[in-house]
Amino acid sequence: MVSARLFQLFGLACLASLFLARDEDNNYLVTAPQNPFLEIGTNFTATCMITNTAEVTVDDLYWNLSKTTVSKEHYIKINRTTLNVTVPIINEEPGWLHCLCNKKSPDVVLNKSKFMGGIWLRKGYRPEKPENLSCIAVQEKTYISPTISCEWKAVGRQTNEIPTTYWLIVKGMNENKYNTSTPNNRAQVSFDTYPNFMPLEIWVEAHNKLGTAESEHLKNEANFFVKTNPPSEVKAYSEKGFPLSLFINWTHPIDTVYVKLMYQIRFCPLGSHNWTYVPLADTDKYIQSYRLQKLIPDTVYTTQVRCKNHLKDYGYWSNWSTNATERTSECRPSSKPDLWKTTIENGITERYVQLICKEPQLSNGRISRFDVRINNKKDEFKNGSWESIPVNKSKSDSSSNQRGIMKLKKIFLPDKQSVKACVTASNSVGTSPEACLVISAKPHEHTPVKELKVWPHGDRLHLEWNIPNNTAVSEYVIEWISDIHMDWQRENRTTRHTTIKGNLERFVCYNVSVYPIYMRQIGKPARKEAYLEQGAPLQGPSVELNGYPGHDVAEVMWKEIPRKIRRGFITEYKIFYTNGTKIQVVTVPANTTSCFLKSLSANTRYDVWIEASTIRGSAKGSNHSFTTLKYESIEGTVVGVSIGFLFLVLMVILLCIYKKDVIEDNFWPRIPNPGESTIGNWSPDCHLTTEIPKEHCLSGISVLDVGVCDAKHGFDEDKASLSLKKDKYLSEEHSSGIGGSSCMSSPRQSVSDSDEGADMVDTTASTVQYSSVVASSGYKGQTPSSQPQHSIFSRSESTQPLLDSEENPDMLVQEGSQHFQRFPRRSRFTQGSESKDATGCTQLDDEQPDFCPFEEDTEQTTLPDSPSTDVSPAAPISSYMPQRGGYRPQ
Amino acid sequence: MNGHVKNMHFQKFMESTARLLSFLLLMTVDSTKTVAASRNQQCENALQQPWKLTRLAQKESVLLIKTYKASQGEMSELFCKVSVSNIPDPNISGLEPSERIASIYTHIQAFSPHFKRVYEQQTDLQPPKSALLTELKRVSDRRRDLASLINNMYHKLFPNLPLPEPADGPTTLPPPQNVFQQKVYGCVVLKTYKELLSNIAKDLRTLKSKICRKRRQMNTVSF
Repeated sequence: MVSARLFQLFGLACLASLFLARDEDNNYLVTAPQNPFLEIGTNFTATCMITNTAEVTVDDLYWNLSKTTVSKEHYIKINRTTLNVTVPIINEEPGWLHCLCNKKSPDVVLNKSKFMGGIWLRKGYRPEKPENLSCIAVQEKTYISPTISCEWKAVGRQTNEIPTTYWLIVKGMNENKYNTSTPNNRAQVSFDTYPNFMPLEIWVEAHNKLGTAESEHLKNEANFFVKTNPPSEVKAYSEKGFPLSLFINWTHPIDTVYVKLMYQIRFCPLGSHNWTYVPLADTDKYIQSYRLQKLIPDTVYTTQVRCKNHLKDYGYWSNWSTNATERTSECRPSSKPDLWKTTIENGITERYVQLICKEPQLSNGRISRFDVRINNKKDEFKNGSWESIPVNKSKSDSSSNQRGIMKLKKIFLPDKQSVKACVTASNSVGTSPEACLVISAKPHEHTPVKELKVWPHGDRLHLEWNIPNNTAVSEYVIEWISDIHMDWQRENRTTRHTTIKGNLERFVCYNVSVYPIYMRQIGKPARKEAYLEQGAPLQGPSVELNGYPGHDVAEVMWKEIPRKIRRGFITEYKIFYTNGTKIQVVTVPANTTSCFLKSLSANTRYDVWIEASTIRGSAKGSNHSFTTLKYESIEGTVVGVSIGFLFLVLMVILLCIYKKDVIEDNFWPRIPNPGESTIGNWSPDCHLTTEIPKEHCLSGISVLDVGVCDAKHGFDEDKASLSLKKDKYLSEEHSSGIGGSSCMSSPRQSVSDSDEGADMVDTTASTVQYSSVVASSGYKGQTPSSQPQHSIFSRSESTQPLLDSEENPDMLVQEGSQHFQRFPRRSRFTQGSESKDATGCTQLDDEQPDFCPFEEDTEQTTLPDSPSTDVSPAAPISSYMPQRGGYRPQ
Repeated sequence: MNGHVKNMHFQKFMESTARLLSFLLLMTVDSTKTVAASRNQQCENALQQPWKLTRLAQKESVLLIKTYKASQGEMSELFCKVSVSNIPDPNISGLEPSERIASIYTHIQAFSPHFKRVYEQQTDLQPPKSALLTELKRVSDRRRDLASLINNMYHKLFPNLPLPEPADGPTTLPPPQNVFQQKVYGCVVLKTYKELLSNIAKDLRTLKSKICRKRRQMNTVSF
């Protein structure tokens, strides 16, 4: 330590002398050592020396380490011009250690840069001994490669300032050294020729500026590091008559003069990766063949071989060889086939049972056929005949480890009938033991297992159950069924927990059943559904409306998602519905398939969709849109009916307005006041002009008093008038009516005549007949002449429709009555006769003085209130007098 | 009475001492046997490695001769039947194992300049990366390694005997030759070297049994 300090001072003195020799531009402060490599965790001592000036002393100096002033406690004043400082090296960051002057004299201030010295500190760690050195030389063609590769574990830390370099050194005999350097932890050394059987010494040296460290030395023969290629041309042979063995041979990968090898063999059934290793003691020799024993007949085995230096702990095992695959020869099936059944219930009284079967576990060959025997209970399960079922399976099928399910026979089984089915399997060498199954009459008479639990764990489905009450269970059958696949496995009677050993698919629902078997009889199964792994449904349910939406409610319904795409147990459904502004959600349990959406807005379009969820996620179904009603249905009905009614009323009003006349004519026909009626009497010497009735005189009633003798004529005249009706308007003579101009008009057709003249003739047929002109037969078709005649024509000027009796002339004929009555009109007649009696009478008096008194009397006698003694009591009371004869004979 | 008791104690002491000595003797014999076995194993190992390398070198020399013949063109079979002077003798001399091992070492070393000469000649005759040159280099390297192993073995087996250098002085190499002579020379060198290796392999096997058995006997006799 002291010598180092002296050396440092000596160096510093040399530096100072160099500075002294130079011109005045040099620094006044000189530091030492320059650019040191420092080990982190140690202390570093630096020296600062004042040269060439007396301006400052060591008392004016101070040290800065990475811009931080070092405490004066760490300073050591060597003499008047030399100051030491000792600082700890504590971190990896490189930095400056400056020697500075704090005197404020003008010279120092002006030449600040000259009163400064600095040391660049580079920090790092000492290299540590590399560990776990290992080297390997691999085979190349038929020799060992001349390159040896080594790797080691680098220990300790290094910094960028002081990196570590590794030297791999291989020393042969006679001090021959081969080496290579690397910053990494692996390297290679190449020889001209690999020095087989020569001793080698290998080690690694770690170097950096702070020191060197050497790994452990590997001292071994060169073959110690050799790794050869695996054995080549590995082949396996089966031997007839030896179904339990395979003969394996191979070729050495390298000549024994280089490396004497030993071997290791492993094998497994094809597709399995559970390798069985042949004991090393049997194969640790320089051998080229081996016979595998205790194998399973008719099983394809994969065999691999590897090798290494035969000396213990020498060399490395080679890689495993390529596979040698061969099938062992066949042998008689040594275990029973696995017999099972599926039942199809067909109604209550019968069953179809499908017998299914798997090949024996130890089929020992390709099963070529199954033999089935069915025995009924009534035969005490004996005397059945064997039925042979061939198996059509290719060699490649049989090579797979998965035992296929064979459908053997379908049995129609009436209820209350038991059968016993027995099956044997045969291969080319022999037949297996018999497997039997009793299908009992009452399939569910045996109790099931209790508390069955099925849950997934890892890539398996685990089952657990408790024994049923009846403990005479001989074994259990675990059956699992999906939509497209079914399989089963057997467990012994002590099993309470197992896993399903078949290949299960994820996201598929399996119906797992545990059947207890009671002395070959099948008990009632316990069942559970399970998934190996659940996922989100592939698709949500499609939603639709149930009926029509209301104005604030709608019922949506959906169907369960098909199992194939359900992929898990549905935990809930979420019904989303939105009117475009806000999405609302209703959550319902998984067993729901419909839901009411309430509090909807009226007359609003809604989009609705459903999300079905499992524990692993959810899937959205398709959208469905609907629009709510504007009103409630009852409101709509009321509003509709009201609007309809209003419309109807409006229409009626309009109709009334536009068809006022028609309606008035139909409902309130203008009935002339009989009181204003006049009876026109005219005689041949009457002037025609007197026949034109005055309007105001038409309301009166004209009554013709016709003699009994005229009745016959009248009757005839009626008949004639029928024919006239047919020939209506053939001549002007036939037209008649109120205000009509012709006195010759037919009694039946004169009704339509009015003051409106001939224009209205066309409507005659539809008009109501108010009166008939009664005339004597002698005047029919005659035109009154100017000559005085004694005949008298009289007619009623009333617009009153004819009474029933008039419209039914038959009645008239039968009655032979001389009176007509029309009660409904009676009041009007009465009224008319009462109100206009005076006026009418006056007119009548003026124009027809001869008849007027008579008419008055007659009319009065027809009033119902004053029954007339002239009229038969049975005859209806009429306000009209029957108009028969029409005209008096002249 | 007292004298009798004293005798009894002495007798017991003597018996215990005898037992202890017997036990120690047995232990010594056993450990000596173990050491002897270990030494014998070392002896066998010392001979084993040179023997293995000799076999390897022999095998490679056989292949080299095949490659050499194949690469020399027509009449290559004839080259090897011609006798050439100044080629080291493949026969091992000496009566004692040490002499024979020394002879082996000397003969192997004697082939060194010949191999060098052949390599130089074939470098001129063959394309640069020919298999012959590669194999020639390999066999030459094996020769060097074998010499080192024999040397090492000799010093292990006979640590007190110096290994004598070749008595005849430096090996005499043939004068400059034509191509045909080069081919003949090369083949004769390789063939002679192969014979030497064959002889060494046989000798080492014999020596192994001789030396290691002798040592075993010596160990046995010493006890």
